[in-house]
Amino acid sequence: MAALVPSTFSGIADFMAIVVLLSEFAMLRAPLSRSQIKLYSFQSMVVTVLAIFIAADRHIDGLYAVAAISLILKVVVIPAIVLRLLRDAKVELVASNRIGVASMVLISILVSIFAMVVIDGLYVHSKSLPTAALGVAVAVVLVSFLLVIFRSDVVSQAVGFFSLENGVSVASLVVAAGLPLIVEVAFFFDLLVAVVVFGVLMRVHHGRTQSLSTDLLDQLKG
Amino acid sequence: MNFILEAILIIPLSAALVSWWVTPRIGKILSVLSGTSTFVLTLTLVDSKTPTALAGWLRADSLSVVFLIAVSFLYFTTSIFATGYVHKVGDRSVGAKYERRLFAGLNLFCWAMMAAPLVSSMALLWVAIEVTTVISALLVAIDNTEGATEASWKYVLIASMGLGIALFATILLYYVGSTVFGHNYDLFYPSLFGAAPRFPHQITELAFVLAVLGYGTKVGLVPVHTWLPDAHSEAPTPVSALLSGALLAISFYAILRYFQVTVLTLGPRFPRDILLAFGLASLLLAALYLAAQRDLKRLLAYSSIEHMGILAIGMSFAAPIAIVGVLLHVLAHAAAKGTAFFGAGSIVKKFGTKDMTRIRGVVRVLPFSGPMMVLAILALSAMPPFGVFRSEFLIIYGGLSSPSSAVVSVLVLLVTIAFFGLSYFATRTMLTPALQGMVSKETSWWIVTAMAMGVFALLILGLHPPSQLSDLLSRAASELVVRP
Amino acid sequence: MKVNDGAMTLALATIQALQILTIVIVSPFISGVTSHLEARIQGRRGPRILQPYYDIKKLFRKETLVPNDASWVFMAAPIVAFTCYLIVPMLIPVLTNYPLPLGYIGDILGGGFVLSLASFSLALAALETNSPFAQLGSSRAKTFGALIEPSILFVAFTVAVITTTDLPYFEAAAARSSISQIVRPAHVLAVIAFFLVVLNDTGRIPVETHSGTLEFGMIEEARSLEYSGPLFGLLKWGSAMKQLILYVLLVNVFTAPWGLAGTQKLSALLLAIVAFIAKALVVGLVFAMIDNSFSKLRLFKITEFMAATFLLAFLAVVALFLGGG
Repeated sequence: MAALVPSTFSGIADFMAIVVLLSEFAMLRAPLSRSQIKLYSFQSMVVTVLAIFIAADRHIDGLYAVAAISLILKVVVIPAIVLRLLRDAKVELVASNRIGVASMVLISILVSIFAMVVIDGLYVHSKSLPTAALGVAVAVVLVSFLLVIFRSDVVSQAVGFFSLENGVSVASLVVAAGLPLIVEVAFFFDLLVAVVVFGVLMRVHHGRTQSLSTDLLDQLKG
Repeated sequence: MNFILEAILIIPLSAALVSWWVTPRIGKILSVLSGTSTFVLTLTLVDSKTPTALAGWLRADSLSVVFLIAVSFLYFTTSIFATGYVHKVGDRSVGAKYERRLFAGLNLFCWAMMAAPLVSSMALLWVAIEVTTVISALLVAIDNTEGATEASWKYVLIASMGLGIALFATILLYYVGSTVFGHNYDLFYPSLFGAAPRFPHQITELAFVLAVLGYGTKVGLVPVHTWLPDAHSEAPTPVSALLSGALLAISFYAILRYFQVTVLTLGPRFPRDILLAFGLASLLLAALYLAAQRDLKRLLAYSSIEHMGILAIGMSFAAPIAIVGVLLHVLAHAAAKGTAFFGAGSIVKKFGTKDMTRIRGVVRVLPFSGPMMVLAILALSAMPPFGVFRSEFLIIYGGLSSPSSAVVSVLVLLVTIAFFGLSYFATRTMLTPALQGMVSKETSWWIVTAMAMGVFALLILGLHPPSQLSDLLSRAASELVVRP
Repeated sequence: MKVNDGAMTLALATIQALQILTIVIVSPFISGVTSHLEARIQGRRGPRILQPYYDIKKLFRKETLVPNDASWVFMAAPIVAFTCYLIVPMLIPVLTNYPLPLGYIGDILGGGFVLSLASFSLALAALETNSPFAQLGSSRAKTFGALIEPSILFVAFTVAVITTTDLPYFEAAAARSSISQIVRPAHVLAVIAFFLVVLNDTGRIPVETHSGTLEFGMIEEARSLEYSGPLFGLLKWGSAMKQLILYVLLVNVFTAPWGLAGTQKLSALLLAIVAFIAKALVVGLVFAMIDNSFSKLRLFKITEFMAATFLLAFLAVVALFLGGG
């Protein structure tokens, strides 16, 4: 039952996708908001490297531009904005785990396997693309949902959304590397706008409650 | 050579930019002017034959035009309403800065919502809808109350996550397209529709389900509707009206685009079933919640969920007449819900509360907007002679002529439950005797004007839609169910 | 020995003995260099490189003290452990890339069991002493050993699926066969997991400080607290050998199975010894750097380290079937 040996290209690409997934796991359990943001920055770095790698291998010049924007925006600017926000808020640690770390990780593992099995069953097979990474990307998306669900502080939830976008980026690199540049730029612009909005709302929330926990947001019901 | 498509985008955008810098007074005038001219320009598109602009990146086929009309009509009326909404009141949140932000935001919001049906690519459609999310999230938070902050956070988080899924659907669609086009192409609708029959099936299925789930988050389809009542109730009323009447419809438009592709690839069966499931769930939940609401704006929000459910169910019926009904419903719902929210804004201003147990005798204290509010509520419960009646009638008629007539009976039953919920509200708050000490006086004539336009539009749609509009609807419906 | 084509070739049995001898003789040297490097990174002059040899020599000259309650188990344990460490090098590719005659008597799991026997006998001996710290150490070592076990099993499983056997020689051959085998996700993840296992098993930071004297943080170190004289010397030597054995698995099986002798020629074997020492030193340097860049985890946080290790090993298996191989 020896598994087929993947090509060097897809081996490396798949591995980077798995690193993105692993950093998602790490965000899930990281206790400090600051370390979550740094993990996000690291994750974005991996996505950027993956973009460069695929650009070099497939000779898609547009991807270099995407990688450059991704480097500036996701690796540097967005983490810097959120870190600055955190510094202003002067909150180090938000007790926000709704369930234990072990249960979170176990559920995430199950969810990831589910994602991979489902995508594996779709037969997205292609000789030139590391299609296994698509399953991993879906797993990243689902685990980012778990991050938003299981952690009840604004930073985790915002980082959950940003890393969801990283998961989608991996997917787009894997199966849609030729996406027109204008569209990619629009995506990134959107992400930046979203970050600003998240930032504004975090600031408003903190100004109002002196806390970054979302447990206080339970007024509206019915 | 005409530049209508460009103008429709440039006018609101410049209105937004300018009203950020000028005094609120000029900002209001600009907004009303921009709303009016956008609406008029959109109406000129009714007869046109799918104009394109900007090297094909902008395109308005009949389906787009239907949604453009819905949005621009609400833009037009909301700009009038908003002028009255912030006009000389002792509301603490109102100040020059607030007004500038509000009007710039409203114009920008409408600009993004106009852009969504105008762009001709699945990817840009996603971008436009994400822009509507971030702008409207800020608008929801603009009142800076505790509830507004909470609602806005929930909204931006849930909607963004939903749109993340929609983005994934876009990527998958790009992938299925690349099996036909190769690895470098734009996701333009015409080319997608042309190639759709050759797409691989399973991934298209997945893309469609993800698109319905993702954009459905913004449409307010159950079970991904949870942000909707909060955001609608806590936002300033002009924003609520736009959210409910226009934004939900625009998101539904995105689903319809995926519906078009999926029908061409898989045949109508699969997408219809998916929409039916979401539609029934939405209708059921909304009908039940409608009966138990105390908050006036939440009531209207659940009514929106109900109507979005009706849209989804209508799309699941095979008959073309039901599709025409769905498109008419988009327009009628925009008019009715806009009017109802305008009325709610007037009531909230008058009574200083959204709690329906403390609102009494609206018809007596608001001599014009009160009765028009009653009309709007009746229209929302699909009473003749209003447009919603006609559209729901078409949907049910189409449903009866299709095999799924069991669904029709469920639909009628749930709409009836919703009707009871709404009419219970209406009798409790509208037709009761006025409270002691309430003076019978309108809050603002701007509001009355906006509502009158809404009621007028509802009556036109219900009694005798212009023949150009009927042609447009049937053309759009045939685009939706086109066979390769 | 016979002369063939003008070069000396050695009998397979001799090579086997040479493998064991290499481990026995080189292991204190690697420990010495590592602790010297560590000291240099911290800005200290550090012990001499050959210090472990002097230590062992000194210990062998000293008298043996035995706790009052201890039985023969206490005396036998270091010898059993040392013997185990002598057996394992037969099973793994220390110098050659072709299997030696006794190379088939045990697979990765077999080697693991032999190492466990060593650890087990030391734990028993620690219980004998009635010293609270030694007993604490053995109970902790067994607890964490049980927690790290699943990761080892999953790494072995990954190897088994990749090579269809569990023999270290075949894993090394697979890794040598092409770059694709090295970069495939399952292999990389398994290697990282195994690296963490080695960190744990050699008692390095973040699990344990190997150079500290604070008994409360000790796990494996605490077990030898009551030993003295030649038995203690054997223990120290044994733990150096165990460390080197694990390094062998890390470099010669998983990450860099190059530079091994492909023939029975003496020159090739000598070259292999040099290459092996160089590779082991690189690993030692990496470990020294890790020691200086991280802090020790609190005892109750060690389980999270184990969980992370397990996650990696588990993902390796998942990746085999779903993550692209």
